[in-house]
Amino acid sequence: MSLFAFDSLTEEEKYDRFLERINAGEKIEADDWMPDDYRKQLLKLIPMHGISEIMGALPEKEWVPKAPSLRRKLAIMSKVQDEMGHGQLLLRVAEDLMRPLGKRREDIMEDLLTGRLKFHNVFHMEAPTWGDAGVIAWLVDGAAIISQTMMLTTSYAPYGRALKRICAEEVFHAQHGEAIVMALAEGTDEQRQMLQDAVNRWWESLLMFFGPDTSKRTGNSNQDKNIMYKLRTKSNEELRQDFLTKYIPRIHSIGLTVPDETLHYDEEEEMWVYQQPDWDKFKQIVSNNGPRSQARLRLREISHENNEWVREALGKKQTMQTASV
Amino acid sequence: MVEYNTAQEVEKDAAYKKELVELLYQLADDDFILAFRGSEWLGIAPHIEEDVAFSSISQDKMGHAVIYYEMLEELGEGKADDLAHLREPKERKNAIILEEVNGPGNYLEEPEYDWAFAVVRNYFYDISKAIRLSSLKNSSYKPLAQVAKKMILEQYYHLTHWNMWFTQLINATDEAKKRMRQAIDKVWKDFDGVLTLGPSAKEMARLGLIKEEQELKDKWMTEIKEVFEKLGVELPTNDGPGMERGDGRNGEHTEDLTTALQTLSEVYKVDPAAGW
Amino acid sequence: MEKKEHIDAFYQEFEVFSRKNSSAPMQHQFSLLAPNHEMALVMAKENFMRREPVGDIWVVRRDNITKVSEEDKEMLKRMDNKDYRETKGYGYLKKKWRQYEQQMLDEKEIMSWAGGIKRG
Repeated sequence: MSLFAFDSLTEEEKYDRFLERINAGEKIEADDWMPDDYRKQLLKLIPMHGISEIMGALPEKEWVPKAPSLRRKLAIMSKVQDEMGHGQLLLRVAEDLMRPLGKRREDIMEDLLTGRLKFHNVFHMEAPTWGDAGVIAWLVDGAAIISQTMMLTTSYAPYGRALKRICAEEVFHAQHGEAIVMALAEGTDEQRQMLQDAVNRWWESLLMFFGPDTSKRTGNSNQDKNIMYKLRTKSNEELRQDFLTKYIPRIHSIGLTVPDETLHYDEEEEMWVYQQPDWDKFKQIVSNNGPRSQARLRLREISHENNEWVREALGKKQTMQTASV
Repeated sequence: MVEYNTAQEVEKDAAYKKELVELLYQLADDDFILAFRGSEWLGIAPHIEEDVAFSSISQDKMGHAVIYYEMLEELGEGKADDLAHLREPKERKNAIILEEVNGPGNYLEEPEYDWAFAVVRNYFYDISKAIRLSSLKNSSYKPLAQVAKKMILEQYYHLTHWNMWFTQLINATDEAKKRMRQAIDKVWKDFDGVLTLGPSAKEMARLGLIKEEQELKDKWMTEIKEVFEKLGVELPTNDGPGMERGDGRNGEHTEDLTTALQTLSEVYKVDPAAGW
Repeated sequence: MEKKEHIDAFYQEFEVFSRKNSSAPMQHQFSLLAPNHEMALVMAKENFMRREPVGDIWVVRRDNITKVSEEDKEMLKRMDNKDYRETKGYGYLKKKWRQYEQQMLDEKEIMSWAGGIKRG
């Protein structure tokens, strides 16, 4: 086989071959050769995505036992279960990428608790009413669907396979959210107010969700690199615009408003014009200084510590069994 | 032996209906409250894969409760959602051990939940539920026999799942053994509350709704003894579990149920007439 | 340190496969972490097959799988000149049979004979 030996290629040749592969639409597998920089970009993206799913289970979890009917109790349980399941899928993808670096799931959890690993801004926020449970499933998941479907064509095959499973389930989440929102929108005055308050509360966070607009292409930003590596196809701002196009008419159609009087569609520019969220606040929030950041991290921490004996007990059994074989 | 095929047929037989309704409340309330306790674990189980698996079991359990509540609705007891959300603690028929909190703290703050307790309580419960469902397959109330046959299909997974956890933890490290022992002793003290069918057990059996309480209890003990023997673990007592804190079938309950009901009906009570 | 090793040992990698029913092929689903085969098997169903029908599940410890390396994947490629072993190389027969006022016995027709040709 030495005639074709891949190992004898120089690093530069390997890099060129790698770019050729992804430009030809080929997908990269976990064990394939990849430039360190590609792995680095994946490791910026996927553990954050995975841990955000896990942390994202927590605001809705608050409403699981309280959901206002048997059917809603079952549906939200199943929805939060899916979020944990998405975390499972994505963390598996991240763990395989980290393995060459000697890191495992336990390290990911520790990185979260020490603040090295961040999670999405939306999951730092409060969800004080049942209306929030509806708005999270409808609009936060709606925003997530926009960015996740965009990445379905990612050049990294294991991520693409995880996303395919995730997006299929997101369709259910969106409908679960729509069902809650619709019932409130068509309900009593009190219910409508509950819903409108929740939309108001989440609006800025929803705009922040896609990240700041770095319209100047420098070639060095993570966004640019991710586009070059075919990890993503659209910029933050393009995604935010897509979100507004899909959801603003729906929000208005059921008689809700968004708390931004400047919001309008500029026909000439073919762009939504909107009030910029406070990006300094965004930085604060994702640095674990949001209103619920510490409380939710504490939930993870306490679960992690409280159940350590279980993992240790069965891990030790495993080590002993392997040793005795 | 009398047999009924529909809720309408039961209307003519007040004595039968009374026992049927009593039994359905017990079945519904047991599954409902334990599924609620399970749902509080969501997001904080020992590892992510288990979190997902456990949630399916809680959903199945609550799904079973919904079926029972809907049968009660058919029998004229009121809306299924009202039955689940609005009944007072003293009207509830679930066993006391099933309403007990998962551990110190609550699901929103400092949930110091005890996984050993979760494993033992659920494992013991699912054994007894499997036995009960096998008996219900021959219930004289045919709609109940029908659903029992379907529920048993899901019960198999629940049992396998909890048996796996029980078996693996009980012989693991010293700490695991100690925690599991404590959990077994704790559950044992009140588990007779699950096994009992309450003051009218005899009447239920006479009407062919379910088998004799003692027969079901014996089956449970035989099963448990077999498991414990195989694993080399001692039973807390040889004469079966106790009912130290009272009989839930009689409406006797603890503060844990009161707070659980407040939580689970918080939004529903805002406006029970509204659509949610 | 010992504790850390034990906790790491809890997270063994398993690949999960399943088939929908006995006539469907085994399909790779995903991977999961579990301390042993028994737990991996119990976790597999609800983690990856909550919504679809499932008739059988396999879990395989990842270390026990041998894969084609990136380099050796080259050996999986082949030229596109082998229509003599595919039905598309025989498409012209359809027209021929029509001349003899007969229908071609194509894949669809032949596979419809499953369980014996239906008379009628």
